[in-house]
Amino acid sequence: MFELSTNVASPQQLRRGDFSAYDALYLGEFSCLSYPNNFCAHPEFLAEAVAQVYELGKKAYLRLFAVPSNHDLPTVRKVIETALALPFDGFEVHNLGLLQMLKEMGNTKPIHLGVFGNLYTDATARVVKDYGVTRVYPNPELSLDEAIYIRDNTPIDVLIPVHGKIPLVVAETCFIHENSGGLPGEDCKFKCSQEHWLTRSSGDWSLKDTGCMTLSGADLCMLEHVDRLAAAKLNAFYVQSHGESPEYIAKVGRIYRDAFTRAFAGEAEGDVAPLLEELSGLAKMGLCNGYYFGDAGRRYVGRT
Amino acid sequence: MKTPALLAPGGTLEMARVAVDEGADIVYVGPLGWSRRPYESEMTDEDIRAAIFYARENGRQVRIVLNTFPSPFEMDDFARKVQLYAGWGASGFIVTDPGAIRLIRGLVPDTLIHVSIGSGVTNSWDAEFYREIGADVIILPYRWGETEIAETRCVSGIGLEVFLFETVQTGKICPGKCIMSSYLKFREWLDIEGKATSGSANRGAKECYRVCQTNWDFAAEDGDPVKLKLRRDARLMLEQLPAFVELGVECFKISGRERPVPMIRDLVRFYRKALDGIAAGQTDMSVYVDELATLRGRWTVEKRKRVDVLMDRAEHYSDAAPSLAVAQ
Repeated sequence: MFELSTNVASPQQLRRGDFSAYDALYLGEFSCLSYPNNFCAHPEFLAEAVAQVYELGKKAYLRLFAVPSNHDLPTVRKVIETALALPFDGFEVHNLGLLQMLKEMGNTKPIHLGVFGNLYTDATARVVKDYGVTRVYPNPELSLDEAIYIRDNTPIDVLIPVHGKIPLVVAETCFIHENSGGLPGEDCKFKCSQEHWLTRSSGDWSLKDTGCMTLSGADLCMLEHVDRLAAAKLNAFYVQSHGESPEYIAKVGRIYRDAFTRAFAGEAEGDVAPLLEELSGLAKMGLCNGYYFGDAGRRYVGRT
Repeated sequence: MKTPALLAPGGTLEMARVAVDEGADIVYVGPLGWSRRPYESEMTDEDIRAAIFYARENGRQVRIVLNTFPSPFEMDDFARKVQLYAGWGASGFIVTDPGAIRLIRGLVPDTLIHVSIGSGVTNSWDAEFYREIGADVIILPYRWGETEIAETRCVSGIGLEVFLFETVQTGKICPGKCIMSSYLKFREWLDIEGKATSGSANRGAKECYRVCQTNWDFAAEDGDPVKLKLRRDARLMLEQLPAFVELGVECFKISGRERPVPMIRDLVRFYRKALDGIAAGQTDMSVYVDELATLRGRWTVEKRKRVDVLMDRAEHYSDAAPSLAVAQ
């Protein structure tokens, strides 16, 4: 009926987390190959991980590094070669060069175009379909109407993020490493294990920084719009959870699973205020609706 | 060795004419709302037509910058624009969206398509992807040097283009992979030609507000904040040119549609001289050091002014709209 998914970066997170609310897991942290034990960079972890996900009764998609330089391509290629021999349900690709590489490597698994694949148009959806893409995560700047238009006018499904921080920027260099005295080429000390925040000196804007990626300060929250999403016959939903605690992942997943289950069964949504309060409590910089309703990403529009 | 082309900006009709007069092989111009620049650095269709005619009269070419990521609802307008400019004699387009590239190739089979910096290329296989979907030339990332150019030559037969400036190897420099501006600020505009735009510069809203250039406090949960900015200035390039030409770079691009006309005039004149010198066998670029130093100084001052203007607009974006656009 619907698929609710989230992301898991490493074997440790996979073992530690409660993913019972989710139908599918995207394995790997796509913004940084140096992230400890990242599935994106460690082919030796993949067989056990995919087996573990299947034991949980879920689908497993493998994420590929979003900004590979030529120097990174041998690592990425090794990951792909390993994954092709394993029962993954698909790859998530952000980089169009990797689409080209997967094609030349004879991949037949479904491909999902990730958030930094910059999918803005139905025309591009048709292009990437020729490379094996079956699902796209539209650029966050697209409105809900635009995402639905792409779904309706192409043979490609759309993934709709419903909760979590919005990926805004991905870079090839690590901002945390550079600004904590690290030198280029020096080993990463994994300082991103601590949360880092960029706050405008005048205090009115805050963003979360994970080193190679900058995320929204506020958490995207679409709980008040679950009925609308279900009515639009959207069916692939995603909780962005990079850098969040196991408790966050479990709680948010449970809230949305229950909400979508009710919505798809045609039941009234009821009073979501207590759940919104719970979600607000998990969000350090408040909630927002992203760009779904044609406004700046950080605004919370609500139902009206 | 094939002499590479010099691409110069035409932010205004006057700038386009000056660039032609100073020896640019190709001038690139952007239609209002379609080229990631503020209204004052884009052109009306009437001016674009005049720029094309002027360039053609002088044996030069014009590329049309259509490098926004259009809305799926804008594709018909996008196609109409392409046919209009091709009909007037524009010799090519600078584009970002892969779907738009394929669309143009279908509409104007013999045109030249450049992949814009907004495509966010990071490796040589990206170049091959864009060649396969119909592009002729790809602009290479700011930080690439001889190694990456040579590697790309091995992987793909696509034409290579580089910006005539270099940038530091650190910091967040992510063209095409940043929507920070529209997360924080959002504005809708209606151009005098009727194009409604909204969102980030990626989508044709009138400007990236350069929010990354603001003063930030950067802190870990338990640490004291460090004051910093996210981006650092680029500077004009010269020393690398002979090697890049040797490696087969086909186009060298001067950026700066938003800069003053005299600055563009002097840059075109300078790089024309340098490229012609290389074509004649001159490989020692030290002969240009003094001239380059002066230009670098002017470039940096203008860049700083530009950032100040954009930051000021971000602060006052609800004020009265500029004369070529109407805030909705």
